[in-house]
Amino acid sequence: MSNYATSTRTLVTSGEGAGRSRGSQAPRRRRPWNAERLAPYLMVLPVIAILVVFRLYPLVLGVNFSFTGDGERNGQFVGLDNYTYLLHDERFLASAKNVAIVLLFVPVQVFFAGILATFIFLKVPGHRFYRSVYFLPVVLSPIIIGAIFNIILGANGPFNSALGAISIPAVDWLGLPATALPTVLVVHIWATFGMAFTIFLAGFATLDAELLDAAKIDGTNLWQQIVHVIIPSLSQTIQFVFVTTTIGMLTGLFALLYTMTAGGPGASSYLPEFLIWKLNGEARPALASAASVFLLLIVLIIGLIQIRVLRRATKEA
Amino acid sequence: MKRTIITTAVAGLALVTLTGCGGAAPTTTGGSDPSENAGGGSDGGAQQLTIWNWGDADEAAAAYTEDVKAAFAEMHPDVTVEIVNQPFDQYYTLLGSAIEAGTGPDLALYNGGTQIKSRASSLVPVTDELADLRDQLAGWPAFEEGGETYSAPTFLQGFPIYFNKALFEEAGLDPETPPATWDDLTSSCQAILDETDASCFALGNKEGLGIEFFLSGFGSGIFTPEEYDAWIGGERDWTSEHATQVLQMWADSSADGWYNDGANSTAMFNDSFDIFSAGDAAMVIGLMSGTAHWKQFDDFLGEDLGFMMPPATNDGTTVALPAEGGIGYGILNEEKKDLGVDWIRATVDHDALAAYSLAGGQITSDTTITLDTDIASANEIVAELPGSKPLLHTALGADELDLLHRLGQQLLIGDVTVADATAQLADAAKG
Repeated sequence: MSNYATSTRTLVTSGEGAGRSRGSQAPRRRRPWNAERLAPYLMVLPVIAILVVFRLYPLVLGVNFSFTGDGERNGQFVGLDNYTYLLHDERFLASAKNVAIVLLFVPVQVFFAGILATFIFLKVPGHRFYRSVYFLPVVLSPIIIGAIFNIILGANGPFNSALGAISIPAVDWLGLPATALPTVLVVHIWATFGMAFTIFLAGFATLDAELLDAAKIDGTNLWQQIVHVIIPSLSQTIQFVFVTTTIGMLTGLFALLYTMTAGGPGASSYLPEFLIWKLNGEARPALASAASVFLLLIVLIIGLIQIRVLRRATKEA
Repeated sequence: MKRTIITTAVAGLALVTLTGCGGAAPTTTGGSDPSENAGGGSDGGAQQLTIWNWGDADEAAAAYTEDVKAAFAEMHPDVTVEIVNQPFDQYYTLLGSAIEAGTGPDLALYNGGTQIKSRASSLVPVTDELADLRDQLAGWPAFEEGGETYSAPTFLQGFPIYFNKALFEEAGLDPETPPATWDDLTSSCQAILDETDASCFALGNKEGLGIEFFLSGFGSGIFTPEEYDAWIGGERDWTSEHATQVLQMWADSSADGWYNDGANSTAMFNDSFDIFSAGDAAMVIGLMSGTAHWKQFDDFLGEDLGFMMPPATNDGTTVALPAEGGIGYGILNEEKKDLGVDWIRATVDHDALAAYSLAGGQITSDTTITLDTDIASANEIVAELPGSKPLLHTALGADELDLLHRLGQQLLIGDVTVADATAQLADAAKG
């Protein structure tokens, strides 16, 4: 796992380096298109071709398809009709609002994974055991997790019985608009934090021990060590975890939603991904494509903003 | 960095423009001839009939398919029948695409009601060809559109109300005379809630299906026959007194505690039916065929299983068993109409249906079949078939039905008012 994080970092820096040097050299010298200059392009061609054919082209087709109609208007160009329809659709508005709620849970998962990884890093008693226990849910299928928690969280389920034992009234966790989505999100965090946790552990492995020792010699307390040494050193790891967790939350909740709430009650736990599937099932694939484009934009914009914000926040001032 | 983004954006835009706006789904071309379909050719005299369905659910269904094939082979020994099984969750999408691309089958299986009616324009009407079967079979309206018949119903689907006689007795009610009016039902429910640990009705509303069962299950006791027929005919007014009343009754029944805890988080299939089978609820609106039916409940409740007609709620109503033709084959290829009609005839073959009925727990469309079973509720259902009426919810459009599902969940927990729900449904019905 530590290799994974390191190689990511290497990739990022090497990319930046190449970009800079290209920017400064390109305008000055223009070499002729000989075999030597063509060779690198030819070598990357297969990869580029695969990306274009299997990634970019379907993406463009999907975007293109979102400008066509469904049913009787199948294949006809309808301009932005699908998009304006979505902006007035109750389920779409609910899923857009729910994206905001989902984003509120991202820091929770990152904090949760980060704090547990810190404990393991500090070698609390039984840390080897907990390391594997924390990772275990990651290997379970979300459908199985959904089925398990359906039983646990049922109105007459064990969780409510346990609450009853300490005189807390039973709540229909998955059947109320206020609790349905947050409950699914908590289960999602439980199920997937192991991955973020592992990446954090890998990040800790790259932490410069000398820097930490130096800080200790300088008389810093634990809080100062965390704020001025650990967080800045782990800044790239934190960024990476934030972005992957966000993407995971926005695109990986389908199976849990499907098994746990089916989008309900009402439209209270709809997310864009679930809506896309529903619309396609209602024989409106073009409308579903438009919703997919929206989801793509949301993930793209949020991802870019996050990287920007986090780069500032985690750097030592 | 900025330049890279701009370059990518420009390249992306160029790609969009270059690919044009053809749409991903194939579009119909003017000259496509269904007889050119794959497997549809009549080369060398040997004929082939290509048929689509969504496969056989169990051994009983597979045996029925074999019986149908045998009945058809007797009529046309030289015709090869190719049955293509498609996954049900994508069935209509795949079928629609295939038809538009001109590669559709000669015949395809359809659900009665909205599914076949909305696709009637692509089917060959067979009104006169099947006229002689009309008296023998029930459930035709689900396969009729604009005065033409497009298929024959094979088995019937409907929403009978089942009850648990033992729980009725425990609550001090007479299990042999189930509630006949809404007031009776209300007082029976109160007695069940007071005297037993069970809930009055088992309800699974996680998918929002509960209100659909409620509407169709109780509808004939609420709407007048004229209103009922108009609703089926596509003229429904959600703001009318009786339509609003349905929503109010649904909300009230929940407020009065008729249902099991957490109905909105309980799956209808099969958690809610399990609640009824386990004796934790006194009544349930179930199905007639396929699953959650008399045969399944009989396995658990035996002699205690009862069947009741919808209670009369308003004056001037005629209670009827809500049932209609469940599934049937429609003919897509005009050139093979005669073969198609004979296939449809084979699917309603008396012996094939009779065998399937008992083995698979199906109520078939053939009213001349007497069920050789000692499950009383099955025979009671069959006895009510002649006066049965189509299901109210299958007349709704897909959008409207989905909205009804969501509002059903919200009404159940008081998250929306009946007036608000009525207004939203009226808007959706306008399209």
